[in-house]
Amino acid sequence: MSNTTQAMYTETPFVRTKRRYQGLAKYIFMSMTLLMILPLILIVGYLFVKAAPVLSLDFIFTNPIRGMRDGGIWAALLGTIYLVVISLVTSAPIGVLAAVYLNEYAKDNWFTRIINLAVVNLAGVPSIVHALFGLGAFVLFAGMGRSIIAASLTLGIMTLPVIIASTKEALGAVPIAFREACWNVGATRWQTIRSIVLPNSISGILTGIILQVSRAAGETAPIMFTGAVFFKAIPEGDLLAYGIFDQCMALSMHLFTISTQVPNVPTALPYGTAVVLLGTVLLVNAVAIVLRVYLRSRKKW
Amino acid sequence: MFTQIRKTVKFSVILAAITGSFLLTGCGSKSGGGDAGPEKMVIQNSGSDTMVNLAQAWAEKYVGVNEAVSIEVSGGGSGTGIAALINGTVDIANCSRQLKPEERERAKQNTGLEPKEYIVGYDALAVYVHQDNPLNEITIEQLANIYGEKGTLEKWSDLGLSHGACSSDEIIRVSRQSNSGTYHYFRETLLGNTSDFKLGSRDLHGSKDVVELIERTPCAIGYSGMGYKTDHVKFVKVAKNAGDDAFGPSLETALSGDYPIARPLYMYTLGEPTGDIKVYLDWVMSEAGQNIVKASGYVPAVMPEASAE
Repeated sequence: MSNTTQAMYTETPFVRTKRRYQGLAKYIFMSMTLLMILPLILIVGYLFVKAAPVLSLDFIFTNPIRGMRDGGIWAALLGTIYLVVISLVTSAPIGVLAAVYLNEYAKDNWFTRIINLAVVNLAGVPSIVHALFGLGAFVLFAGMGRSIIAASLTLGIMTLPVIIASTKEALGAVPIAFREACWNVGATRWQTIRSIVLPNSISGILTGIILQVSRAAGETAPIMFTGAVFFKAIPEGDLLAYGIFDQCMALSMHLFTISTQVPNVPTALPYGTAVVLLGTVLLVNAVAIVLRVYLRSRKKW
Repeated sequence: MFTQIRKTVKFSVILAAITGSFLLTGCGSKSGGGDAGPEKMVIQNSGSDTMVNLAQAWAEKYVGVNEAVSIEVSGGGSGTGIAALINGTVDIANCSRQLKPEERERAKQNTGLEPKEYIVGYDALAVYVHQDNPLNEITIEQLANIYGEKGTLEKWSDLGLSHGACSSDEIIRVSRQSNSGTYHYFRETLLGNTSDFKLGSRDLHGSKDVVELIERTPCAIGYSGMGYKTDHVKFVKVAKNAGDDAFGPSLETALSGDYPIARPLYMYTLGEPTGDIKVYLDWVMSEAGQNIVKASGYVPAVMPEASAE
């Protein structure tokens, strides 16, 4: 007996081996984590170094000139803002309300399960397929032509399932006890949703929506088919330069064309475009993070 | 419980109605053809990737000419432009080849309008070699034998040349990536539609890259737009057939049709263009517009001939 107790507390070869493996495991996992952030640092660093010669406020606020070999990216940046804002304005309400129904009202029957399955599948549809759908449904069938509205709605449909999924998750994180307490004092489901469920899940919902900005801004395929153009001249500094039925330039598309289609583009120009695209997305994500921290600080549990 | 569900149904019906009306107003205000309100006219211009940079240069400069008109330029290839023309969804289609009779017929059936053709410029492809290369003339057949998959010419000595600067004597073929319009035109001119290029060529992603590689490679031969010439490369004169006169690429030989690898660049409209589209095309064909053609590395179309059609 005393023998075994002593063995437990002295360093035996077995314990040493065990500890060595524990240390080894820790460093393997840590190195994987470092490996994961390494590409991010490299990408961002490389982009900034390569883009340094063109980066300035003028680059953002002037139009491309001399056959898109010089000048800025104003027309493309504004186009991307139009596309992202309009697509989220259309998809966010539909997505959030649908998720509220699925999570709060719908009974668990075959119909709801089919809808949930459809949402999951829709989220897995490749963007190029969404592009073809948008071309058929909005551009040709609905008669919108190749336009900002057609491209935005295509992007909206692409982001819809992810918004539904993230909203459902946020709603599901609100403890069921909150709802039960509410129902027990006589509140209807709608009253419960409005005053208990939504206020407690709003940070998660908003985060889910805002994270879709990066997807909408970065996709090239869906807009290439439905409303993004190679070039369009618009007045500089005019926020309302595009009409909703015009076509527009977009950052992702612009990056693609100046890297592959236009000869003699200075190397800094595509990198500068990439930095602005990345910067726009990171800015929006930062807003999402701040919002999330603020709203979470008001959480009641 | 049930009333709640009914309420939600009502709510979603309202939502659907809102979305629906939104879509309907969408249908209503787009009258087709690309006019977006009276104050700001939009011209949709799409098609050939070869011409997309030229079309872009025109659109960029046209802002200075008429601020009220905005040109939307997109690429996609000549086929894309023709398809849009047939569907009537584009105002001006750019084409680096002529409309086929059946395409013309389909456009007429679909839209009731006869496509009108404009030759807006020419694209002359120059054959480049290193400045030390003794090669001065080449025929289309020889080029086909160098580039084609059934070609037998592998060495400069096969052409009867002693190329001192190229010790390996091997002909290094410089070509373009397969989605380039230049590549397609060159291949079709040399080999027709049935045959492909030999494997092992250096396929580059830009007109300028081709010339730059040839500058550094004495053994190389390549093709690119004639606007890309530098002091360290030279043009090879090209003859249609063995025994014919060979011509170097220039504005004159491209226009006269003597230079065998030059092609017209077309713009098509549906029916006789009117209003702002006509003004724009007139400007494209004017001296100012044609100077941009020249500046972009293409051959301008001479005005009187082209507008006569």
